[in-house]
Amino acid sequence: MSDLFKIQSIMRILKVFLFVGVVLLSFSCKKRGCMDENAINYDADAQIADNATCTYLPFEKTEMLSNICDNYIVPAYTNFNEKNIALSNSLSLFSSNPTVDAFEALKQTWKDALLSWQQVCFLDFGPAAFVILNNQVNLHPVDTDVVNNNISLGVYNLEQASNNDAKGYQALDYLLHQPGMSDQDHVTYFMSNGNAMTYLTDVVENIKYWSNYILTEWTTSYQDSFKSNSSSESNAQGSSISNLVNGLCYHYESIIRKGKIGLPLGSFNGFSQQEMPDLVECYYRQESLPFAIESVSAMKKFINGESFNTPENRLGLDDYINFVGATQNSSALSSIINSQIDLVIDKLGKLNDPLSNEITTNKPAVTEAYSALQQLVPYLKVDMTSALGVLITYQDNDGD
Amino acid sequence: MTGIKEWLYRHTFSEKSIAPLIIFRILFGIMMFLSTLRFMLNGWVHDLYIEPSYFFTYLGFDWVKPFDLYGISLLFGLLLLSTIFIALGFFYRISTIVFFICFTYIELIDKTNYLNHYYFISLVAFLLMFLPANKGCSLDTYLGFTSKQEKVQAWSINILKFQMAIVYIFAGISKLNYDWLFEAQPLRNWLKHQTDLPLIGELMQYEFTAYLFSWGGALFDLFIVFILLNNRFRIYGYTLVIIFHGLTAVMFPIGVFPYVMIVSTLIFFSPEFHKNIVVWIQARTARKSKNKVQTEIKAATQNKGTISLLLGLYILIQLIVPLRYLAYPGDLFWTEQGYRFSWRVMLIEKAGYAQFFVHHPENGMKKLIDNKEYLTPQQEKMMSTQPDMILQFAHHLRDQYTDTVIIESNGAEINIKEPKVTAEVYVSLFNKGSRLFIDSDVNLSKIKRGFHHKDWILQNEN
Repeated sequence: MSDLFKIQSIMRILKVFLFVGVVLLSFSCKKRGCMDENAINYDADAQIADNATCTYLPFEKTEMLSNICDNYIVPAYTNFNEKNIALSNSLSLFSSNPTVDAFEALKQTWKDALLSWQQVCFLDFGPAAFVILNNQVNLHPVDTDVVNNNISLGVYNLEQASNNDAKGYQALDYLLHQPGMSDQDHVTYFMSNGNAMTYLTDVVENIKYWSNYILTEWTTSYQDSFKSNSSSESNAQGSSISNLVNGLCYHYESIIRKGKIGLPLGSFNGFSQQEMPDLVECYYRQESLPFAIESVSAMKKFINGESFNTPENRLGLDDYINFVGATQNSSALSSIINSQIDLVIDKLGKLNDPLSNEITTNKPAVTEAYSALQQLVPYLKVDMTSALGVLITYQDNDGD
Repeated sequence: MTGIKEWLYRHTFSEKSIAPLIIFRILFGIMMFLSTLRFMLNGWVHDLYIEPSYFFTYLGFDWVKPFDLYGISLLFGLLLLSTIFIALGFFYRISTIVFFICFTYIELIDKTNYLNHYYFISLVAFLLMFLPANKGCSLDTYLGFTSKQEKVQAWSINILKFQMAIVYIFAGISKLNYDWLFEAQPLRNWLKHQTDLPLIGELMQYEFTAYLFSWGGALFDLFIVFILLNNRFRIYGYTLVIIFHGLTAVMFPIGVFPYVMIVSTLIFFSPEFHKNIVVWIQARTARKSKNKVQTEIKAATQNKGTISLLLGLYILIQLIVPLRYLAYPGDLFWTEQGYRFSWRVMLIEKAGYAQFFVHHPENGMKKLIDNKEYLTPQQEKMMSTQPDMILQFAHHLRDQYTDTVIIESNGAEINIKEPKVTAEVYVSLFNKGSRLFIDSDVNLSKIKRGFHHKDWILQNEN
């Protein structure tokens, strides 16, 4: 009896060992490890996800802010300011020696300056949001009646908000490309009309004033607070990241998507959706697409943390999005955003200027481009803001 | 059975020191005073009740309106005054009634501003109307409006403990879901933005920390009440309360909620603890009070049957309301049917983007609505992820366009009798990517509001 009993108990113990052994064996065959590719201890051989062991490089928010400030924002505003100084200089040349050549040079420097604005327009926060820079330099459409009235009166105050749509690049668009007038006609017009010449100068000087203002604001005080201002409560309202993401989303949605394409296309025009081709940017030059494309391409560069003057790519919003591991349809959100921007550029590139004609003659193609622009809105406004923890928190929330 | 009965009877009708209730009243009054003042000083009265042109009312409370600037200011004035009166124990009964009505009314104006801790405050205020919390350390006793009382029936204090228990335990239960426990969501995302916190920021880079916080948070919510109820471990429990709520206060923009909880949990401390405070207060304020101490509990409160019935009813409602989500099919975090009033705090990370279209019913024309024309950014944000608010806004648009004639800029005359309203809504839950939230073809203007299942919400494909 006792022997049997012993044998039974030994068997039982053996069974337990066997069971434990099999379990251990089955685990040791499949390697456990961190299976998140973004982690520093990502284990390519791992077969069982043990993601609790994943370790990430801490994301240096301040380093990202420094990079985009030093390598994109400040150089881009510097360039913007230089282009406006060049514009002002070429206007001086034109006024002292009004020839067709000088006039064409003036138009070219105007175009360069407007392109440089597209590279900073979406930085719609901080000092730019404070003075509503977009309305100071590039509100469209231009009100030609006010422009003409100001010129004939010779008395106006460009500081007044009521003159916002009679100044800036769009007023210059009109003044430098007046319908039915050749370059020679323009030269004659400005030579014979002293008020017009003065107005032209005042508008250019006003733009130059603002570009200098914004650059000075950034280089003196704002850049320091921008680089250091990371709120302890996540990226709550008032933090630099919240400011810049909200500014970028707002500008993209309202000014680029809606203003440059959606409004003239008629997408916002009531039930009839009647096209409004004269609302395109630079209607009088009959050339809108390079500006729209430049704004979107520059935005892409900015999101990816690229330097303004060199092709270097350092820490940017894309890296922050990757750090958080945000996905869209199981692809990395950053690559989804990038390919959507590429699609936008591609669709806009397929259109022909003048955009105002294209809208009426080739509406389906413009609509297609608009759809691509539209699809980017949720990617930025929902996916990106939520990935970056940017909350609209002007009051408490309990996260639900 | 008799054991349970006895236990219930003892915790309802045995006589207990009134001290915890007195201290609770004073602290509640002070806290509400500070939080109301903070609310007003932040300019939120204007932002939340004057600025919006439309309000997301609760079903059945569509009559609740913010009035005009004077009306809402009066409400807030009364609210602030009542908090002072409650703290001082001055016209206590009227003050608690005024506070409850004003506070609840304000909260009912707009769903956008729903917060669990506001709901908690409403419930506590409701209970305080029935509790004799002015029978000591109060102007009411000092001036002889009411008699002093040393003892209260146990339920007066236990119902408050019960209320706290409901908050914590349901918050804990709601954390027992796959996302919270096994994905450490949403903390995993949130903590990644916290690497620059002083001292503990370093920890935030480890995935492990998110799991630790998630599991720790769930365990804390589930068991803290039981620790606080235990005489021996209470002090450790309360230390945990301070650490837990202190951490959340540092990390998240959740306002006064952590402090409300830190202060309210003092109710779990022993009568002796509270008596010491009462004595301390009396030593500094008491002159001869005009009234004698009443040693017996008043006959009016002796109707044990009614009290038991009402308490039972209250407890039952508190147990059922948070569980009503079980009656709905689908993913709770996605559909949010039965989500509010259920102590679900910091559970989900959700963002949305909604575009509404008003259609001409016959000729297929449609107009894209600019939400900003009707909603504040906060309202728009809250609406974009919550189906009942999407439906309400669609109805508001329907009402705006019903029986209208619109002359458009191109001269077209648009004549609408019964507009069709659709919405294209994209929502992202836990940063897994935005996807279509509701059926974008469904005519929302025809869908009735109500507690029935909203079958026009699409499945969450994650």
